[in-house]
Amino acid sequence: MGDEKKSKQRDGSMVFESMYPLLALMLILVACVDLCDAATVVDVYRLVQYDISGVPFGSRFSSLNHHAASLSFHRGADLSRSVLILPLRELDLGFLQDYISQKQSLGGLLILLPQTLRPGNNIVLSETQRFRKLLAQLENLLVHANIPFPVYFAFENEETDAMLADVKKNDALGQQATATTGGYKLVISVSEPRKIASPTITNIQGWLPGSRAEGDSNQLPTIAIVASYDTFGAAPALSVGSDSNGSGVVALLEVARLFSTLYSNPKTRGRYNLLFALTSGGPYNYEGTQKWLKSLDQRMRESIDYAICLNSVGSWDNELLVHVSKPPDNAYIKQIFEGFSNVAEDLGFQVALKHKKINISNSRVAWEHEQFSRLRVTAATLSELSTPPELLESAGSLSDTRQLVHEDAIIKGVKLVAESLARHIYGHQRKDIKIFADDSSLAVNPFNVRSWLDLLSQTPRVAPFLSKSEPLITALKKELEDYTAEVSVQHESLDGIFTFYDSTKASLNIYQVASVTFDLLLLLVLGSYLIVLFSFLVITTRGVDDLISLFRRPPSRKVKMV
Amino acid sequence: MTLFHFFNCAILTFGPHAVYYSATPLSEYDTLGTSVKAAVVYLATALVKLVCLATFLQVSETEVFDPYQEALKAMIGFIDVAGLYFALAQLTHRNISQNHKFQAVGLGWAFADSVLHRLAPLWVGARGLEFTWDYVLQGLEANANLVFTISLAALGSLMWLRKNKPKTLIPIIYTCAVIIATMPSITSYLRRVMGWHFPKVVGFELMTSLVMAFISCQLFILCQRPSL
Repeated sequence: MGDEKKSKQRDGSMVFESMYPLLALMLILVACVDLCDAATVVDVYRLVQYDISGVPFGSRFSSLNHHAASLSFHRGADLSRSVLILPLRELDLGFLQDYISQKQSLGGLLILLPQTLRPGNNIVLSETQRFRKLLAQLENLLVHANIPFPVYFAFENEETDAMLADVKKNDALGQQATATTGGYKLVISVSEPRKIASPTITNIQGWLPGSRAEGDSNQLPTIAIVASYDTFGAAPALSVGSDSNGSGVVALLEVARLFSTLYSNPKTRGRYNLLFALTSGGPYNYEGTQKWLKSLDQRMRESIDYAICLNSVGSWDNELLVHVSKPPDNAYIKQIFEGFSNVAEDLGFQVALKHKKINISNSRVAWEHEQFSRLRVTAATLSELSTPPELLESAGSLSDTRQLVHEDAIIKGVKLVAESLARHIYGHQRKDIKIFADDSSLAVNPFNVRSWLDLLSQTPRVAPFLSKSEPLITALKKELEDYTAEVSVQHESLDGIFTFYDSTKASLNIYQVASVTFDLLLLLVLGSYLIVLFSFLVITTRGVDDLISLFRRPPSRKVKMV
Repeated sequence: MTLFHFFNCAILTFGPHAVYYSATPLSEYDTLGTSVKAAVVYLATALVKLVCLATFLQVSETEVFDPYQEALKAMIGFIDVAGLYFALAQLTHRNISQNHKFQAVGLGWAFADSVLHRLAPLWVGARGLEFTWDYVLQGLEANANLVFTISLAALGSLMWLRKNKPKTLIPIIYTCAVIIATMPSITSYLRRVMGWHFPKVVGFELMTSLVMAFISCQLFILCQRPSL
């Protein structure tokens, strides 16, 4: 008896155990239902979210689950549970400004950008210039506002165009999309954004030593060439910053290449060391440059004769500006500027000197050379910008795409820097020699310039979102390793007044939904269909009497056919 | 709300089977066992068909209508008919009249067919947010399929269970049975070669099912007279 019971129990548990995989399969099946059953999925890029000393800016939310609405909605309609779809072509900046400043609630904002502004798209259309201006204004508005709803950027394609046309049509008829009237539902399901704990900024420096004269034991003087490579824009996943400061990086790399060729031969090696630095943290008051300078050995820092910083040298025509913080009648500044203007004259364009005093009490660092000047190193910034940029301005916004940059501008800038440096190093000032002449073995290589420019124009480079082992950083390091003798990478943490939040890219699911009234109607129709079917069958097989009797007496009465 | 839609489509797909069972005298004679047995036979038939299809059919990437492949599919479709024969003739049922036997077998067969072919897509698809008419059309197709199966079962019972039939009606019975049995091939021909969309195909199926039901009903009544 006991054995039988035990074997039965064992059988029962075995049956149960064999059910587990089946149960697991059922659970997986049930869970898999919610995976991507949308008709349309679009890549979207979120507006940046950051704090400056605790004051919040940018879009503070990331997940979205609302109906779509367009600009043709009835004035006064409640949009707090809708996502407003704004194509850039039809942007009304005043309306948006009012909306944000009056703190009206909105479910979300989706801005559709034309395909020509996509990184990697090199088609130039006549209207792109207008879009670029509009986009710059929009970015300025959004980046400096505190927005309590999610804001996303997306690129137009056929599916979004079709959806927008549909939504506009419905809105024009006054049928705004809600739960009871159907329409389109936009869903972005991501987790809430979290602070990036300790964002790192990475500085890459390359050291090209000069040759000492026989019997000279003094430290050789150094000339530094610096450019910051990171960007900041309204959408961190789209901020490629071709001009600010992709052009500066490309120019630095080309100058490094030219001098590495010159210095590779001991006979032509100059009596100056060259220090090339690619710094990060540019938009944030050049924090990276400051940290890099402080980390340099004091003797090394004191041996720096002067530093040239490159900032936005990609879209100028006739005049390049040299910004300094020391007064123009300073001997060193005069020397540097004369060197530049002589070479510029030979090359056929102009340079102008601009002086801006440093205000020690103001923490804003508008130019990179100011960080050098604060540590008593002579420096100047070569740039096409004439006014010092405001905080987070001109740092590589969404409108700064590849089409804005001309390769010849960069090539002219490279020639300017290289020639003036070479004349200073080899003591040929005021002599009419072209060391880096075209068609020589030391000519500027336009293909190199173009390929690096193209690469940088497709790589978003917002520093808090770059990891330590980011492929771009590895590529820049490798490039400098090819040209210089010693490369070192320095990782610092961005610990100033800025705090950043993650979640920069997401997938938008667009669903076409039916309203509740539709479902109820369908239920009604089906219910009546089934009732009609039931009555029809009862009548044809059992007779009308049976149908009537069903309503008189309780059913399920077994009737034997006689 | 989308669970609502799933519920709607489910009652459209499976409701008629339940209604048929409860409305006709089938429920009074407790023929559930017959239906269940027919469903099991359908499962076995489906497995055999699957194996045959996998062995003999070549998968083509494009939706090209290959007559040879379609003929092969139609032949394998006759395994269905063999299964139905087995369910009608070979299985032992309780003492129920022929009238009810074919209805019960047809009902069980159609129900198993609906569950196997339509429940999983319905569960996975109709519960999503995106709305499509597909599942409503699928439900209508299930209805048409029910009528087809019951007509086929009726003709089958005429062919195999009734011994004395008027000679003139025999060819008609056989042609109707062949038409119903090759319905899948006809619909795939319409969809691929003629390029009909799903709603049109479903409409066609519904109409043909009603026509076939009417014809088989008449045939059944005509054949019943001599045995009075």
